[in-house]
Amino acid sequence: MNSPPDNRTATSRTRTALSDADLLNRHLNGDRYAFSELVRRHRDRMWAVALRTLGDPDEAADAVQDAFVSAYRKAHSFRGEAAVTTWLHRIVVNACLDRLRRKTVRPVTDDELMEVAERESPVTDQAAERDISMEVTGALRLLPAEQRAALVLVDMLGYSVEDAAAVLGIPVGTVKSRCARGRAKLVPILAHLRNRSGFARVSSAKGAELRDG
Amino acid sequence: MTGDTHYDLEVLAELAEGLLDEATADQVREHLAVCDSCGENLADLAAVRELLASVPVPAMPLGVAKRIDQALAAEAERLTLGAPWEEITPEPVPADDRPAPAPAEAPADAPAEPVRLGVVAEDGTVVPVQPKKRARSSARRRFSARRWALTAAAAAAVVMGGTGVTAGLLAAEGGGSPEQTYVASEPTGTATAGQPSYTVYASGHNYTSEELRGPLLGYFGVAPGSGTADDESLDTCVRRYAELLDRPPIGVDKAFYNGNEATIMAFWEDASLNAVRVVVVDANCKSLRPQSLASWK
Repeated sequence: MNSPPDNRTATSRTRTALSDADLLNRHLNGDRYAFSELVRRHRDRMWAVALRTLGDPDEAADAVQDAFVSAYRKAHSFRGEAAVTTWLHRIVVNACLDRLRRKTVRPVTDDELMEVAERESPVTDQAAERDISMEVTGALRLLPAEQRAALVLVDMLGYSVEDAAAVLGIPVGTVKSRCARGRAKLVPILAHLRNRSGFARVSSAKGAELRDG
Repeated sequence: MTGDTHYDLEVLAELAEGLLDEATADQVREHLAVCDSCGENLADLAAVRELLASVPVPAMPLGVAKRIDQALAAEAERLTLGAPWEEITPEPVPADDRPAPAPAEAPADAPAEPVRLGVVAEDGTVVPVQPKKRARSSARRRFSARRWALTAAAAAAVVMGGTGVTAGLLAAEGGGSPEQTYVASEPTGTATAGQPSYTVYASGHNYTSEELRGPLLGYFGVAPGSGTADDESLDTCVRRYAELLDRPPIGVDKAFYNGNEATIMAFWEDASLNAVRVVVVDANCKSLRPQSLASWK
């Protein structure tokens, strides 16, 4: 074996006990299994980000794969002051945004928003979570990519505005404003879900009356 | 602002995020106190947040996880192109990427594979370098220390810029003490316009894995690049890696790796981080070790 002696000293047991940063270092030093452990740890999160941002499982799979391969290649560019997870998130989000931009998703017009809002929903009150998930996914696709990415991180996945700002590489205020504008656009699109699960819980009955009147 | 004019959803959303300046925020709040319609919109905005949060977060499907594992394995393989101890899929070698013919005067104890790194002796004849000093650490260390001075003074450094240059091989006399015999070759070729040029050294240094972790500047970044392409197949090989990695090399050193004749290529991975990617190939452009990262300075 000509390979460097430090290549395979870590057992998988010690590997699982290592921090993300340690794993990344081991990867850089030639540990072939360190990066797999990082992937194993974070893939579900990355999948959620990509799936919600892109709204399409095939696209999301491509994006996450691209992102992990890219992270594998440029592991050295990770800077110690950020969390490895933030760094991974950023790579995934950027992979998603690249895809969205490549497809040049056009911004939705107000007329389209109204049309969607007025559409009759055939779904009953017993609508399953899956339907809501699909409705939300469909609605998110109507938003500009930047607003969508911010809403996915903050509202859907529950990241703090600060964490989302770090992931997106933009100021906190910009995250807030993208979220605000995105939510404003989603209200008419998702209004028909008002009587169902999450939406119904929050919207007051009084509000529902007033809204129509 | 009163009942007849409402605030649009965006303003209300900005209010909720605390993005409005104090004066505007006060105005909107005053309006909200008397306008149920806007109050309802504000509630709808909060409801949208709740709705988004209520969407379940699925785990990555197994098929996707598997696919990613495979992609990463393929990437690992790509980075260890043809490493002999890995027994991975051999890297296809294009027809024009064959090694140059061995010098005719190759001595009997030369390695079986074609010898590409030759040196021009003082009388002008081409003599192959023999990798005699294998893995003797004390000798290696001495060698390493001595060649530092020699590199700047006499390392043969050539810029390869074009194809079709057939100029002579680099010089050293035999394998005995290569560190004393580097002769800078005269520039004889011109770089082809538009093609990335890079610097080739022939340090003849016997690199260890440890040394290839860097810093590498002292090994083949000291002397300014000058000279000429001497070897078309090396150029092809370097270009292939440059294309693969999508960047020009910083430097190329014709040397040894663990006693084996090898070409060491360094590519910027991230200049701001002082990180270079190191590629080590044999005479057939076959990778001798997994690509790795090293410091440059």
